[in-house]
Amino acid sequence: MNFKTFSFKLLMPILFAAMALGARASSHREAPLIANDPLADNTDVYAFRSPDNPNTVTLIACYIPTELPFGGPNFNTFGENIRYEVHVDNNAALAGDEIIYRFTFSRTNQDPTTFFSIRLGQINAKTTYKCERTVNGGASWQTIIENGVVPPPNIGTRSIESGVGLGTTYNALMMSAITTSITGEKVFCGPVDDPFFVDLGGVFDLGNLPRQGGAQPRDGIGMFNCHAIAIQVPISTLLKTGAPSAPTSILDGDYVIGVWASASRRTTRTLQNGVYNETGNWVQVSRLGMPLTNEVVIPIGYKDYWNAITPYQELADQLLDGFFYNPELALYMDDAIFGGAVPAFGPLRIQRNSLGAFDFGYEKNGLYSLKGTAAVAGTALDDAIFGTLLLPGPGKARSVDLWPIFHTGVPNFPPYQLATGKNGNPLAVGKPFINNFLPNGGDMLRLNMATPITPRNDPAFSSEGIIAAAVAGLTQAPYNTSTALEFIPNMDGFPNGRRLEDDVTRIELQAVAGVALAAIGLWYDDFNGTNPVSQDLIDVLTYNTGVDKNDKVFQASFPYMAAPWSGTESN
Amino acid sequence: MKSIIKNSLAVLFALFSLIQASASSHREAPLIADDPLADNVDVYAFRSPDRPNTITLIATYVPLQLPQGGPNYYSFGENIRYEIHVDNDPSRPGDEIIYRVEFKMINEDPSTFFNIRLGKRNQKLVYNLYRSYNGGASFGLILANAPVAPTNIGKRSIESPIGLNKPYDQVSNQTISNSSTGERVFCGPVDDPFFVDLGGAFDLGDLPRQNGQAKDGLACKNTSAIVLQIPINYLRKRPFSTYRGILDPNYVIGVWASASRKKVRTLGTGTETHSGDWVQVSRLGMPLTNEVVIPVGFKDYWNSITPYQELADQTLDGFFYNPELALYMDDALFGAAVPGFSKLRIQRNSLGAFDFGNGKNGLFALKGTAAVAGTALDDAIFGTLLLPGPGKPRSVDLWPIFHTGVPNFPPYQLATGKNGNPLAPGKPFINNFLPNGGDMLRLNMAVPATPRNSPDFSPLGIINAAVRGLTQAPYNTNTNIQFIPNMDGFPNGRRLEDDVTRIELQAVAGVTLAAIGLWYDDFNGSTPLTQDLLDVLTYTTGVESNDKPFRSTFPYVALPHAGDGDCGGPVAAANRAEEYGTSLIGVSSNVVANTNAPNVVADNYPNPFSSNTTIRYKVEKTTDVNISVFDRAGKLLNTLVNETQDSGTYDLRFEGQGLPAGLYFARITTDGGKSVQVLKLSKQ
Repeated sequence: MNFKTFSFKLLMPILFAAMALGARASSHREAPLIANDPLADNTDVYAFRSPDNPNTVTLIACYIPTELPFGGPNFNTFGENIRYEVHVDNNAALAGDEIIYRFTFSRTNQDPTTFFSIRLGQINAKTTYKCERTVNGGASWQTIIENGVVPPPNIGTRSIESGVGLGTTYNALMMSAITTSITGEKVFCGPVDDPFFVDLGGVFDLGNLPRQGGAQPRDGIGMFNCHAIAIQVPISTLLKTGAPSAPTSILDGDYVIGVWASASRRTTRTLQNGVYNETGNWVQVSRLGMPLTNEVVIPIGYKDYWNAITPYQELADQLLDGFFYNPELALYMDDAIFGGAVPAFGPLRIQRNSLGAFDFGYEKNGLYSLKGTAAVAGTALDDAIFGTLLLPGPGKARSVDLWPIFHTGVPNFPPYQLATGKNGNPLAVGKPFINNFLPNGGDMLRLNMATPITPRNDPAFSSEGIIAAAVAGLTQAPYNTSTALEFIPNMDGFPNGRRLEDDVTRIELQAVAGVALAAIGLWYDDFNGTNPVSQDLIDVLTYNTGVDKNDKVFQASFPYMAAPWSGTESN
Repeated sequence: MKSIIKNSLAVLFALFSLIQASASSHREAPLIADDPLADNVDVYAFRSPDRPNTITLIATYVPLQLPQGGPNYYSFGENIRYEIHVDNDPSRPGDEIIYRVEFKMINEDPSTFFNIRLGKRNQKLVYNLYRSYNGGASFGLILANAPVAPTNIGKRSIESPIGLNKPYDQVSNQTISNSSTGERVFCGPVDDPFFVDLGGAFDLGDLPRQNGQAKDGLACKNTSAIVLQIPINYLRKRPFSTYRGILDPNYVIGVWASASRKKVRTLGTGTETHSGDWVQVSRLGMPLTNEVVIPVGFKDYWNSITPYQELADQTLDGFFYNPELALYMDDALFGAAVPGFSKLRIQRNSLGAFDFGNGKNGLFALKGTAAVAGTALDDAIFGTLLLPGPGKPRSVDLWPIFHTGVPNFPPYQLATGKNGNPLAPGKPFINNFLPNGGDMLRLNMAVPATPRNSPDFSPLGIINAAVRGLTQAPYNTNTNIQFIPNMDGFPNGRRLEDDVTRIELQAVAGVTLAAIGLWYDDFNGSTPLTQDLLDVLTYTTGVESNDKPFRSTFPYVALPHAGDGDCGGPVAAANRAEEYGTSLIGVSSNVVANTNAPNVVADNYPNPFSSNTTIRYKVEKTTDVNISVFDRAGKLLNTLVNETQDSGTYDLRFEGQGLPAGLYFARITTDGGKSVQVLKLSKQ
């Protein structure tokens, strides 16, 4: 098949380049050290094609977790002496990032004689920023915005709207803070309603998600704010050098970007009578690409270390890989291990005997028995094509699904195609549904910018992202009637990038429960040879954490996130 | 008697001048707001109601902790010195007594992202408590490796056998320790005992809210408390002197708390190292000082100095002489701009003579006159601290309340018995005078405790005592020293219940001046209980008490809110309609509802067990039953039963001999599904 050969040729050079380099989130208060440095704490990263401006991609990095809207008198804002950066890799063959946006902030007190944050038109801790950009991996930088304005905190109607305050509306403050850079990016930096949603209290009480015993689910981030950096970038700016100016298909491999964000501080802080002096080199103290990685995949002993390294350094680290090969969460989705101890995950059960042959249980072999066999020849599991990254050894059950989802993205190449058309052989050619393959080995949010947008008001729009697309491709006509590459709604959803609406907690828990394996034909244990939509699969697909949408409605235009909760309206 | 007091005061003040001297706070200053672990939140000091020979000192740190704030919950930090300081003798420089707490953190199970799992705790804290009796020259270790209770994450993590297997109150109370020198100590997470409408207050003083309901911004929030219960004799000024009654000046202590970090922090790859001298980064004595008195430009500086250094600082004094809040309680200034404060109006023309408005002279016109001779305003007795100059109207009330405490000496006695002259001797109501010039919480330990369940108990503290002393028999019928309920309340120390926000706003509105006979402007010569005074006294912020009841015994503060409870965020809106319902059913003709209803119900006893335990289970209807026991690593130890069984009750014995102590799982598989029973083996 032409298609196969084409992909093969395309992938080979990329992978060899990656190997030659020696290789190989959502997170709120996710690691011990950074939990104590809220200003430099990444909380989430989003990347999606802008629904109202499809020639652009919107990148969002949120910082400062669980800001209380009424957290006065010194309300949260971006910190000084911190480098906030949004990084983009668009070419796995080149070392490191290609594009970096760097934001640095300054605060001034317009009226240091008051303890109020806003009074009589004056703003204390008034924050402005400079945005610099590099498009050559940091070799040279250009300042693209000077004196960008950060809106003040949404303290309350007296401070914002009344004549003794600013005498305006919060919406006007927010809209007037949107700036266009000299190179054409639209930028917003400021407080917003935290777009993330999760039952924090349930999940960290030993995985009580959804809460059992009839307890009501609670959005642990409901009514909290965060500080967001939002950049709307023309796709042409993010595109890999040499890529065609129009995509060759909706899964064009040249249109994949990897996005991650970070915060860095200077090495040395010296205290002196109410003043902090910061000197020395910049040291990364926080980063985020994929949601929840450092929150629920990396165990506590490694979280600080994980925050300190770059995605590119991960490839050399074998230890971290182990947490994806055999994730802690999988212990709680397996009756043979601790499954019985986490009743909330009851519907989530991993394949222990898929197709009567493959065991994806903790420290089991997964597909390793196929290594080097004729069955995998010509697929992504063929060492001759992809090297040994996907089948690195025995006892690494999830090296074929969780590891690549977080480290390389997923190629449009067997076995990573939907079971539709595979006639029962998961390794055969099937229905394409994703290509966000950017094999640099590190944790990033990978987005194929060629994939069309599912309108937010489309009845088919689903916060289940790619899982919804996969279900449609397997079960719904016309999608399940051919192996042709076609747009299926929500192919533009997580983990192909991340839209604000995507319910990443649910998607990731379903992924740990093996839903990606099922999508490509590695059915659940109760598959009886006829209908793959078995009870186990239905259980996984209908699993819901109880909190599956944000507490505020998103905006239809940039910066898309909702205005921050006001200090006097929130609970 | 008067002369005794006068002499002792004169001596104190003479010494004081030689030395050359002059809050509740959540995120109160810019720098410390970004360093929550080292951020002082509140300080309390009161005679222990159930153990009146002791004083309880409480310092809270780490503000606004969300009960659901995982996976790395809040706690005290390492590399920070948390200190509670006590001054009991202003004639000696600096503190007399310092308690220092240092914490160490360990992860018992670094392989999990959960904070508590299978009896193991991550970020588990222990602490050492040190004490200095010589102002910090030397410290003795009086409690080593004492435990800190874990975060109250939720029932599964705390109560269930896969967590700690104990109720939270037991987990928390078991951490109460006794030092080798007799102090009772608790360090750990608690419900934040403070209460205030943060959202209203900082929205330009919308307190009480003019539109909308008041809301306690600290409700549902936790904090980390250091609680010390200390025999009064440990805290008294030395050498001991003869007891002189409930306002004995030798029983006054000044209390403040601080947090210090090392001067230099160096970041490595996921590490921090700390070196150099210790530098104070946060402090707190009186509630709200650095939150609403000190303006933003001086907050970081205020945090970095000690109370003793304040005396040399003239700039800070200005914020008390002419407080910003007073601008909003004065119709001639910004009064109209803050309608929330409309009931609070400062005396601009008290007794037809005295103007306490910002920039006005207050009592300065009396300086050096015969009228003030022999009073605290006499330069010959008290020096020039109370009448330092013109244009400093609040040098006679707000400044001393925050910097020296209030002596039992005219004019600082209630108007009762003064016959209209505020400078005359009146009814004593307070003596927490400790003239070291710095911001501290000053408590006279001789004042009896008002029982918390007494009908007379009031969170208005001294203001309530003053009102009784002015208006209520028998208190208002003589000028004798007698105990008036709530004389043990703020600002004479601070009880957990005291509504300090309201009291301080009333004090800024001049209520103390009124108490000593400097009546409000609408006083017509007959009754001092005028509308202006009633307005001030009946002012309320809308939030008057804590969201949780306090406990009647040590450590008094309430247990922390649980992460899985009502405080863990708003209830989520209903889930979306199920996306897959139709599509899945359309394809699958043989989807069968799986009820998963357990056919077998099991329990085991004893649990925990030391040698063997009996698993009792009941079979509802005939089924295949397999009961197997696994260890924590998932290794199969034994299959206890594997057969078809009829309905009935069965007992199975499981032998723990030869097995290490720990958790084991009995997995019960039947036709109806699987369930797991946790068996806890504890060895003697």
